[in-house]
Amino acid sequence: MTTEMASSTETEFAASLQGVSKSYRHFKLSNVDFAVERGAVAGLIGPNGAGKSTTMRILLGLVHPDTGTVMAMGKPISSSEASAKQDIGYFSDDMRLYKPESIGWHMQFVRSLYPTWDDNYATQLLDRFGLIEQQTVKGLSHGQRVKAMLLLILARRPKLLVLDEPTNGLDPVAKHEILSELMQVVQDDSRTILYSSHNTQDVEQISDTITFIDRGRVIASSNRDAFLDQWRRIQLQAPEGWQMPEIEGVRTESSYRSLHVLSASQYCDQISTHLQQSGAVIETVKPMTLEEIFVSIVMRGREANQS
Amino acid sequence: MNLKAIQILFLKDLFLSRRQLFAYFVGGLAASALACTPNSTVSFIGFILVITVAIAAGIHLIGTLMLAESTDQTRMFVMSLPVSLLDYSMGKIAVVMTTYLIPWTSMLACLVIATMTMGKQGSVVVLPAIFLFLLCSFLLQLVTAVISESTGWTICVMVGGNICLNVFLMKLFQDPEVAEVVKGNIVQWPVMVLQMIAIELLIICLALVVAILFQFRRRDLV
Repeated sequence: MTTEMASSTETEFAASLQGVSKSYRHFKLSNVDFAVERGAVAGLIGPNGAGKSTTMRILLGLVHPDTGTVMAMGKPISSSEASAKQDIGYFSDDMRLYKPESIGWHMQFVRSLYPTWDDNYATQLLDRFGLIEQQTVKGLSHGQRVKAMLLLILARRPKLLVLDEPTNGLDPVAKHEILSELMQVVQDDSRTILYSSHNTQDVEQISDTITFIDRGRVIASSNRDAFLDQWRRIQLQAPEGWQMPEIEGVRTESSYRSLHVLSASQYCDQISTHLQQSGAVIETVKPMTLEEIFVSIVMRGREANQS
Repeated sequence: MNLKAIQILFLKDLFLSRRQLFAYFVGGLAASALACTPNSTVSFIGFILVITVAIAAGIHLIGTLMLAESTDQTRMFVMSLPVSLLDYSMGKIAVVMTTYLIPWTSMLACLVIATMTMGKQGSVVVLPAIFLFLLCSFLLQLVTAVISESTGWTICVMVGGNICLNVFLMKLFQDPEVAEVVKGNIVQWPVMVLQMIAIELLIICLALVVAILFQFRRRDLV
């Protein structure tokens, strides 16, 4: 890569992984390639154990990949782990604060490591999240713990937020509060969010781009609206013994007697025409939710691997 | 290596261990005071308590400061901050050593002063050998904790250290030259004590080098 290209990549992407692999005894992350544009909100969706957390830990330098290149905020994470983390706020569901200490103590501790810490914003967040500075972590509910952790991350004004399942196990109100706060954060164009979840609704709400990951592989990555615009669920009736014609991107999701439900990844009217010509009667063609798209993509990927 | 980050992590852990540190400091001084009483039974109990405090402080501090960060999942929080693995490791080793050395030094100093002032000057020569043995045992536990991150293996090394301590004390006091010096009022350094101190210092240096090197070469911490 020339210097010019490298600097262009640095300015364009807040984070990028190229050809990243990591092997564990029972799990392998294989050749992961993806990048998050500066100012964008990128969603990383995958089932449990898909490799979302490992990917994020590699991005933070907490886990070193066996192969591949990782850049965060324009710096190679392998050689500038600590300085890169000055600009990154990382949240993980596996992360815990010190139970005997108060939220205020944690704020002081984090502030001592970040010159960018914003006291006024921290106070505002305390108020907005309904947290008490003197309260010890031991007495916090799960939702309050997540909010306290997000406060510690947001008040340091990171340029890149890496959030690993932040809304996991939260009640709808707490989830709304956190997503609203994240929406506020992305109003600032210079700030980037990489957000992972197996809950597609949360990701759909705030993401510009979506990457699907399953069994350690990136199986699809695109603009959120492109996914929603292109995918369709087709419900049809077909005579007994009907064989679905080979159409690229069309898969049978379920069949019961004469009723068949198909998904199409690149829907166009020609697909309906083709199906009708094969003897099927199309009942409905509906847009798919991100969750339905996610399940279909995962199943397609697994079938492709098996074959 | 970021010295400011190491300092912040060190002070954070020192603060988090303040209660244990205070308890072992006070407990160590109380045990030392008992060990210095003229009554031989009470003095013996005091000496056993000194050794107990040193062993308990070691395993407790390694457990709470080093191993618990992994099981309590607080390590991920610390490692998400702008610190490198080396900063984290250096801060950890430094704080575990410091928190152990505070009660260790206070007990040793208390016993040396009391022994010298009570007219048992001869027996002062065995104290550095015994305390350095306890420090060796602690450092071997520390190295085990750093390498294995396992409470089980660390406890195994502690048990091994305790068994060796009994053999060590038996050999030390069975040596005729040491027995003679301990009874007297003159500070003389028997060859066996000097040899033991030299071996202990060597083990301490090796253990520290192994602990730091291992952490330096480590790639993943979470």
